Amino acid sequence: MKTRLIRWITWVAILTGIFLSISIFSLIIGTSDIPFRKIISVIFAGRGTTEYSILFDIRLPRIILAFAIGGALSLAGVILQGMFRNPLVEPYTLGISGGAALGVCLNIVFHLHRIFGVLTLPMSGFLGAILVIILVYSLSRRKGILKIQGLLLTGVMISFISSSLIMLIMAVSRTEDLHGIVFWIMGSLEEPNWVLIKLAVGVSVFGLVVSYLFCLDLNALSLGEEEALHLGVNIEKTKRLLFIIASLVTGCSVSIAGIIGFVGLVVPHFVRMFIGSDHRILLISSFLCGAAFLILCDTLARTIISPLELPVGVITGILGGSLFVYALIRKQIVLGEK
Amino acid sequence: MLEIRGLFCGYDSRIILQDINISVEDRELLGIIGPNGSGKTTLLRAITRVIKPGAGVVFLEGRDIWQMGFKELAKKVAVVPQDLIANLMSVEEFVLLGRIPHYRKFQFLETNKDKEIAQKALKLTDTFKLRGRSILEISGGERQLVLIARALTQEPRLLLLDEPTTHLDITHQVRILDLIKRLNKETGLTAIMVLHDLNLASEYCQRLVLLNEGKIHRVGNPSDVLDYKIIEEVYRTVVVVQRNPISSRPYIFIVSEEERKRRQSL
Amino acid sequence: MKKRQFFNLLYSVFLLIILSSPAYPESLEKGIESKTSFKRIISLGPSITEQIYLLGAEDKLVGCTIYCKRPKEAEGKEKVGTAVEVNLEKIVNLKPDLILATSLTPPKAIDKLENLGIEVVIFSSPRNFNEICEQFLRLAALVGKKEEAEKVIKEVKAEAYEIKQRVRDLSKPKVLVQVGTKPLWVATKDSFINDFIEFAGGQNLGPAGSGIYSRERVLKQNPDVIIITTMGIVGENEKKLWQRYRAINAVKNNRIYIIDSYKLCSPTPVSFIQTLEELAGILHFDSEE
Repeated sequence: MKTRLIRWITWVAILTGIFLSISIFSLIIGTSDIPFRKIISVIFAGRGTTEYSILFDIRLPRIILAFAIGGALSLAGVILQGMFRNPLVEPYTLGISGGAALGVCLNIVFHLHRIFGVLTLPMSGFLGAILVIILVYSLSRRKGILKIQGLLLTGVMISFISSSLIMLIMAVSRTEDLHGIVFWIMGSLEEPNWVLIKLAVGVSVFGLVVSYLFCLDLNALSLGEEEALHLGVNIEKTKRLLFIIASLVTGCSVSIAGIIGFVGLVVPHFVRMFIGSDHRILLISSFLCGAAFLILCDTLARTIISPLELPVGVITGILGGSLFVYALIRKQIVLGEK
Repeated sequence: MLEIRGLFCGYDSRIILQDINISVEDRELLGIIGPNGSGKTTLLRAITRVIKPGAGVVFLEGRDIWQMGFKELAKKVAVVPQDLIANLMSVEEFVLLGRIPHYRKFQFLETNKDKEIAQKALKLTDTFKLRGRSILEISGGERQLVLIARALTQEPRLLLLDEPTTHLDITHQVRILDLIKRLNKETGLTAIMVLHDLNLASEYCQRLVLLNEGKIHRVGNPSDVLDYKIIEEVYRTVVVVQRNPISSRPYIFIVSEEERKRRQSL
Repeated sequence: MKKRQFFNLLYSVFLLIILSSPAYPESLEKGIESKTSFKRIISLGPSITEQIYLLGAEDKLVGCTIYCKRPKEAEGKEKVGTAVEVNLEKIVNLKPDLILATSLTPPKAIDKLENLGIEVVIFSSPRNFNEICEQFLRLAALVGKKEEAEKVIKEVKAEAYEIKQRVRDLSKPKVLVQVGTKPLWVATKDSFINDFIEFAGGQNLGPAGSGIYSRERVLKQNPDVIIITTMGIVGENEKKLWQRYRAINAVKNNRIYIIDSYKLCSPTPVSFIQTLEELAGILHFDSEE
């Protein structure tokens, strides 16, 4: 169907357009709005003006990070929903966010970041995430077969355990540490270190590219594991690799930006409503849509009650949740059931 | 075409199939019958590499299936499951999924050839008119035909059908089995069907394999296998076997409790 | 295998991108302390704002938090956020050359500001009276009011000494200061509230380390005085709650007091002394003439 290819390309073009517009919108809006024409002159004027600082040192890094994290979480959401054939699965269901939060908590409480530098915070988050990933994976393997149901249940349980442990740590920690923990958990796209931002972008885009090697397998998996096997998919290898991609991308995002919920859950469903379930178009569309969504939410978070800033997780939750309910009402969300 | 020797397999600790030896010739239409729990589905799964046998080998066209690549096997064997779970997609897209084993390494979209094969399959199964409809909207009988269409786009040498006529009305039962018979005769497609309904199996299959409690009870053509003594032994219910007046194949009549009592009192 | 080579290529490109940027140097607090020429200062803590006004340097203050309400004049200054969340754009717009942060300020914001070339000095919560005075002097040096500060500190230390002497021979009541409800949180031996109590001639029953406490333990320790620093209805409710435990000395003798949390929890050297006087009065009212 040549027409389908044209339709897909159009979609990607539209989404890219939306993404770019929202990014430019985000650059313009803020405590002091900088109109578009002025942006061009500021760029040419070079470093030195306040506006330049605001644009390139404050707003642009946030936009880039939101692109990376929004894209990564949506991608992980698509992959996991495809693998598990369960509409409620999202990147945090597997307990990865719990592990990362626990790692960061322990770091804050033991003041490791004061001794070894601020980069240890995302590193300990990532370490926590990896440990949970390994734990969940090994607990769900029976005789070399990765049990999907086991992954889900183990992940949810570990999530609960991590939350309780985090609450325990919060209960016995000092006030200053407590604040640190709470604000990390609430999620923030403010990141002073360009290395981390580049890392986030690199990992997200890498994840997207690699997941495309499995786009057909994901289509086959949507029919069920046995069916996919009949279609010639090496399901054990595919499940393993998809799980690793989704977990790494999620672990990286959570370590750098904290817990930003709903993006991984809502964006894939939303995109499916318009584009369908073919993963060949779904992967890139969810990535772009997620990126745009998070940039929008972040912009709202920092402008709605200026000069105060809301945690971006609040906006993604409210906006994302409402969109999800709207989608349920208007167009039935269908996944896997007859 | 297919040779199974000394197969033992099961799930976790339970062995379901014991010492299965079957030989399927090219262009054959074989039926697998047996009571519930006798291992029919397990046998299909063993042939398609879903479960690994504890012992024994399965040879497809002379090669051990466990030595083949996943895609290689999928190009030779296609399975028509009992029913489907699927996302929102059109019938044509669903049928095109059958071409996945044939995609080349970095191929992303379907080629024209792929589309042609899919359309041919749709026409063969008389579902071409449904191709634009959503897969979730069509009826049970049409779904089964679409599943067969998808299996056909895999261009298999061997077609496996897992109870293709359960839950369907007689219109569709006949339609589907006629289709399989036709494909078998006209294109030389080898087919193995797991069937519940003994009469359908008798009518359409050249050879039958009767399984009981994981072992082969009897192999042969319908007249040999569908003898009332054998059926009563395996299915533990009273039956009467006669000739189908139209096709001369064995036809099984069940005897209800009421009838049994009446006969006894005569 | 083609796939493996492809992956290797991706990995190497990936690593190249990551490692190709310089790491940012950590800022050194000590170096900038010697500078005194700051003209545009933003305060990220109410206590710091109050101290700046105390030093008479409010003309240099260009921004503070929305919770900086003391003195009243501070409410007229530009607001840049709360003590725990700061609006970087607002800050940058005000073109400050010095930012005074607290231990509650998010470290990422501090890093960001330093990357933008703005000096940041962090004032962590003081743990005793001496640290309160030290921080005051440090602050004064930054705003160029060293002499005024030294005068104030000298006076304040003298007054503190005087109060200490006054109550030295009086009996030391056992004191518990409650700083939080749900869960019950008391002032520990490591906070400056400990100094408040001891200077005022009391004995702090609070623990060392974490301040989470159980009411059972309070009953066991039987304080003579309970001071509640949570305000408003919550404070009143807590008082009523304590009054149910009639076995406690403080309840028997009706010595449960509610003190403004501003006074007790974020003091400047001067307000410390004022509160100290009040506290001494509370603890020893029976021996005052």
